[in-house]
Order: sequence, then structure tokens, then C-alpha cells
Amino acid sequence: MAHVDDPSRRRFVDWFLGGSVGAFLLAVLYPVSRYLVPPRAGESAAGTVTLALKPDDVKPNSGQIFKFGSRPGILVRTAGGELRAFSAVCTHLNCTVQYRPDLSQIWCACHNGHFDLNGKNVEGPPPRPLEAFTVNARGNQIVVSKGA
Amino acid sequence: MLILLVLAAVLALAPSPAGAQAPAADNCATCHLAIGDERLEKPAKAYVEDIHRAKGFGCVACHGGSEKDAGMEAMDPAKGYIGKPGRKQVIQVCARCHADATFMKRYNPSLRVDQATEYATSVHGRKLAAADDPKVATCVSCHPAHAIRPPSDPKSSVHPLRVAETCGACHGNAKYMEGRRLPTDQLAKWRESVHGKAMIVKGDLSAPTCNDCHGNHGAAPPGVTWVGNVCGQCHTVMADLFAKSVHAKAFVDMGSPGCATCHDNHAIRPAGDAMLGLGGDAVCATCHGEGDKGGRAALEMRGLIDGLAGRHRAAGALLDRAEHAGMEVSQARFDLNGARDALVKARAAVHAFTPAAVRAETAAGTAVADRAHARGTRALDELAFRRKGLGVSLVIILAVIAGVLLKIRQVDRRGRATEHG
Repeated sequence: MAHVDDPSRRRFVDWFLGGSVGAFLLAVLYPVSRYLVPPRAGESAAGTVTLALKPDDVKPNSGQIFKFGSRPGILVRTAGGELRAFSAVCTHLNCTVQYRPDLSQIWCACHNGHFDLNGKNVEGPPPRPLEAFTVNARGNQIVVSKGA
Repeated sequence: MLILLVLAAVLALAPSPAGAQAPAADNCATCHLAIGDERLEKPAKAYVEDIHRAKGFGCVACHGGSEKDAGMEAMDPAKGYIGKPGRKQVIQVCARCHADATFMKRYNPSLRVDQATEYATSVHGRKLAAADDPKVATCVSCHPAHAIRPPSDPKSSVHPLRVAETCGACHGNAKYMEGRRLPTDQLAKWRESVHGKAMIVKGDLSAPTCNDCHGNHGAAPPGVTWVGNVCGQCHTVMADLFAKSVHAKAFVDMGSPGCATCHDNHAIRPAGDAMLGLGGDAVCATCHGEGDKGGRAALEMRGLIDGLAGRHRAAGALLDRAEHAGMEVSQARFDLNGARDALVKARAAVHAFTPAAVRAETAAGTAVADRAHARGTRALDELAFRRKGLGVSLVIILAVIAGVLLKIRQVDRRGRATEHG
């Protein structure tokens, strides 16, 4: 039974246990600290997005592309002041559309497709209208949602 | 005699107006339906749903005669009765109203009034005027007399979904077209084409059917020099690039029909990268080879497009992997849309037939795809780091457990040794 009282063996076990506990605490605290710091580009792919734009940032007869999940959307303020939002994915070959203030239309540069401000395909090869989103301006926030 | 009595009795009812008001009692129809002659009944039955009847036009609007008179007197040639109009007469009868802008404005202000003028320029109209060809289409061939509906009506013979069938009734009928120089496989080819499938399978009413390329009332084959204008109605970017390209003049000199030279006319298949280059299905190889400038340009353009397509695909696959593994890569995926846009533009730029035009698009797209790829790589590297961290944590946890067990054993043994000592 002499080995039970071996001081070197006891020291090793104490050191081993103390080191393990320290490492264990580190392993717990590091992920917790990482969790508490928000990620740089975290965004939900859910059906609603709050834009990094204020309603006043969007002037009449202009449009802005925004990120809706991983797909582009386009926010348009008509000359009459109404905010409208659509998917910015052209229904022809999925290019990203843009707003043309000179035409007051949404336009796809890839094949010269035109959409009116209701998202309806009015010229060029796009076969279908753009998907329409619902826009709500809540105070200084613009919230865009899929569906009615 | 009995028939005449019935006719006289029925026609004695109030006369129908020829114009704007709906007939109170349609004398012609009443008799035609009562006579018991199927040949005479048919138009009266069909006319019930005709747009002209809905607008208040009675039989006399086209057939003439008098609606004020009863019996056979109503059908007196001296009163303008023409019976069934002859083939050339049909054009005049329809044009009497449809070429009168002032009159048509009362019913449909947006309806064109140049159908008869256009028809005179069509192959149908020219053949009818020159040789009274008994087979060429007149108004009633496409707009069946007594059952005319507006083109927006899905039951109309000229509704977009039915135009091809209407034209194909003659042009797809080899027996009917016998003796003509035209093929009769256009309808079958169109049905299999990218346009036909868009219309028939996808129900896309904006897809081109016969009249979109040939015209409707002025129907004629597009000329060699203006095929590009026809296709350019929808494919504007490609048509503009083509019109400025070396091929525009070369094709005219060769007598080749512009866009249709590479894409065919009725059997237009979906355009793909395989059409570009010199091998397999490449259409460039029809005229060009490896030894000429055009062949080398085709190969270079194909290489540029394949290069960007490959990079776009690789970046997309990498982001897929990262996303499926739970990493947040939506911004990278959003940015990668720019590479797809560039790829689509590069494919359109092929119609300039110069590698420089294609390269201008692929260069920008390649940079975007490479950036997305790098972000995907970083996301996967971070994932690997996290997995390693998890492994290390597990080892540490196991070590703690082992250490605790060893300590407990040690304390127990020391306790037992003290008791025995």
C-alpha cells in the first residue's frame, strides 16, 4: 500500500485535477463570451426584415436594393410618395433589377426587362411580375414582409 | 307554304336594329332556328355568343337586307341583301366598320382600325387579290363568322393560347397545303420550342406565338434582313449587339436569316453555353473552324463563360456546404448574385461576337465569385476551428472526469490506509 502515499503520484493527481478544472472553466467561459458578442453579419432568413434605412432616406422617384435573407429586394418610393417593395430578382433569368428614375420603372439590365411600379412585367422578356412585399413604415423604421 | 307562313308570322314581329341597340327580337335568327335546316340553324345558334351580337349588331349588319320587312322581302338584293359574302367581299364587309376609326371608337377606342390595310400586305391578302386563291385565309378563317370573341376571351380562336392551333389548322395540314412551297411542320416544331413550351406548359401568355413574329393581319414570313428586328421585340439587348456585330452584314450577304441562323425559327431550343465554341452542339462550328479568327474567338468566349460559370458554381457549392453546416453566409450568398448577373450579361454579350465584350462582363463576375469563394472558405475554416475546439473541450471534460475519479480513489485509499495503520 506504499504507493498510495507516494507524494509524487499525489502531486501529479492534484496537478492534473487542478489543470483540468482550469481548462474546463476556460472551455465553458470562452463559448459563453463568444455567444454574448453578436456576430458581424447575422440576419434571419425569415419572412420579415427591418431595413437599415429610414423612410426619409428614400426620396420620391427612387429605389434602393436591400438584403432580404440572401436574396435582393428593391424598395421604391413612387413619385407620389408611396413606399413599395418587391423581390429584386428578375423573373426572366434571376438577375438583380434596379430602379430607373428616368423611366419611373424597375428595370433589368441583363436583357432590358421592364416592370411597372406594381411589379408587373411590361416590356422585354420577363414572363411574370416581380414578387410583391408588404412595406410598413413604423416611425423611423421600414419593415418589409413577404406575403400580405 | 307552311314555312313561308311561319316566316311571315315571325318576321312580323318588331324589326331588329342594325346598330348599337341590342335587337328586341332577332327575326333572322328566329326563322333560321325554326326552319329545321341544320345548315341555316348553325350560324343562328353560334351567333348567340358572338361579340357583335353582344354589342347590338344583328345579321343585317353584315348580310344586308331589311329588318323592317317581313319574310323573303327582307332578303331583297335591292335592299342591300348580299347573302353569304364571297371571299373578297368578306374583307370589305368587315372593313366597313373595322376600318372606320370614328365608328369603332364608339365600341372600343383602343382597337386598331388598320386590319384591312395590313391584310392587303400579307401573303394571304396578296394571293387573294392577285389570284383569288380559294385556300388563303380571310377574316373569317381566323375569326370564325358568327362565333367571334375578343382575343382576351380564352375561348377565342385568337386568344394567345389558341393562335397556334388556329394558324396550324391550315399550316399544319399537309393535305390542305399541298402544292405550296411551305413546310407544314411549323406547329409541331413550335410546340417543342422554348417559346411553345413557355406558352403551353408554363401558361406564359407573353411567350411568342405565330402572330408575334409573323404579324397577324399582315402575316408574312420575316425577311432575311429584318429577322433581328422581330426577335428584338423581346430580346432587345441581343438584337442591339447583333445589329452592330460583324455577323449582321455577313449574314445578309450570305442570305442567312439573322438570329434564326443559329437559333432556328420555329424549333428554337433553349439557348445554352453548348451552342458556343467549336465542338459538339456548337453552332459556330457550322461556319468556323479552329484555324480562323471567328473559331478562335468562339473558343475564347466559351472559355471565358465556362470559367465564370465554374467559379460561380464552385463558390455557390462552398457556400451551400457552409450554410448546411450552420454557418451564417447569407451576405456572401447575397453578393454572389452579382456573379450570376455578370454571367447572364456575358452570355448576352456573346451576340457582339468579340471576346472583349464577353471579358468585360466575366472579369467583374469572376472578382465577385472569388470574393464569395474566399468568404465561404473562411466560414468553413471557422467551422473547422470550432469543431477542433469542441474536440479539445471534450478531451478536457473527460480529463476532468478522469482526474476527479482518480482523486476520489486516492482519497478513499488514503482513508483506508489510515484506518488500517
